[in-house]
Amino acid sequence: MDRQSQEKLSEVGEFISEYSSHMIGCGVHTSRVIRSAKRIADTFGYVVNINVYQKTIILTVLNPISHEHYSEVKDIPNLPISFEHNSRLSALSWETYDKHLDLSTLRERYKQIISAPSVHSFFVLILVGIANASFCQLFGGDALSMGIVFSATITGLFLKQQMTAAGINHYIVFIVSAFVASLCASTALIFDTTSEIALATSVLYLVPGVPLINGVIDVVEGYVLTGFARLVKASLLIVCIATGLSFTLLLVKDNLL
Amino acid sequence: METFWKTIAEYNSQTWGYQLILILTGIFLTISLLREPKRWNVMAMKIFFIVLYLWIAIVYFYICCAERSYNIVMSIFWVVLSVAWLWDLITGYTTFEYNKKHVKLAALLIIMPLLYPVASLYRGLSFPVTTTPVMPCSVVVFTIGILLLFSRKVNLFIVLLLCHWSLIGLSKTFFFNIPEDYMLAFASVPAIYLFFKEYYFRHVNKESKPNIKYLKWLLILLCIAICLILMGTMFVELLVDK
Repeated sequence: MDRQSQEKLSEVGEFISEYSSHMIGCGVHTSRVIRSAKRIADTFGYVVNINVYQKTIILTVLNPISHEHYSEVKDIPNLPISFEHNSRLSALSWETYDKHLDLSTLRERYKQIISAPSVHSFFVLILVGIANASFCQLFGGDALSMGIVFSATITGLFLKQQMTAAGINHYIVFIVSAFVASLCASTALIFDTTSEIALATSVLYLVPGVPLINGVIDVVEGYVLTGFARLVKASLLIVCIATGLSFTLLLVKDNLL
Repeated sequence: METFWKTIAEYNSQTWGYQLILILTGIFLTISLLREPKRWNVMAMKIFFIVLYLWIAIVYFYICCAERSYNIVMSIFWVVLSVAWLWDLITGYTTFEYNKKHVKLAALLIIMPLLYPVASLYRGLSFPVTTTPVMPCSVVVFTIGILLLFSRKVNLFIVLLLCHWSLIGLSKTFFFNIPEDYMLAFASVPAIYLFFKEYYFRHVNKESKPNIKYLKWLLILLCIAICLILMGTMFVELLVDK
């Protein structure tokens, strides 16, 4: 009751809606978002109910004693996948619960987490290039194919980063990036090397792993609607990758046969 | 390998006149940009690159290299490059502003296409079975040189595609016995370093993760790794020759 008098229902509700939408936006699965939000609300003596959709969340924060309630519909922001935000925001909910943080401190910590510098795009570029080259090796590609896949991945990913920053439609970005990366990889055809492996692995960096895993987790945990929405989105992205790759394959099919 | 040199000979004997026009246009536009970059010569240089890349795509790969089994792939690759220049022309992204920092290296790269035929003649080849300035690898070297000389604002996507081509050039030196392409590979390594440094690490004070100084070291390591591969390839080729 003391904490309820300290922190206004609307202010707590506003914070939880922002916190939850950010978590969903950066690729956290539904049950974790709901658990974390409930934990924060519980700290302040409130009860929260959340409905998560693909584009928005609807939440109601209830004061169980006075039966006052606060409802909000919040858009889910388009954010890059961030495992760091995922774990740190989840840890923040535990810290709030264990240390009984007040709302201003909680807001401050939240701002610190979301405004922390993200991983540099050049670092991402190099690591993803190495990861894709490693995939090529795992599937039986030789050293030359690995080098070509590394270079093709960097080129495709750079284009994806630029197109995403320019606000171009997500699906078009995937089609074009897959086409460019696979076209670059198709240059392996001129050498006596494992060109088909280079071609196939050059687009693996685009596979939407997080939405696929989250989709399955959501369905298994009973959030069927959200889970299917995520799976449909991931499937469409995979279709886009296949479309981009198909353009290249149509061009080089004679060389592959 | 025989097909490779045969197609080059056919290309040279059929198109040497047009190649000369392209070379003279390139020289004229480079001098014009060096004097003072104006709207007309910036646009003209971009149009020149579009035409030059389409020339390589259509005339060199699609028509003259029709005998090669992979010609369409290469042709499309160069069409994509010319589309990237077309996008640049429309948006005005690359400004061709003179950058004094890398003048020596840039000058060397711009002149290097003219050294390609000299290197072929030095190896005992004779025209038309020689490399010329209007061939994919020499065009890549020339473009990298121009972009480095006017590198205030560079379209890195074009640079990445060109560097990818350099990587292929490096492999070609080994597979098709074209030592001239070592010039391209050697030219690309410092260019990769300078372009990436200019593009990503311009704002040193900006907070980033990991720290900018570690990222610079990563870039240097990457360039060293490419150099080592390059030297290894040369060494193996020398052993094979012996």
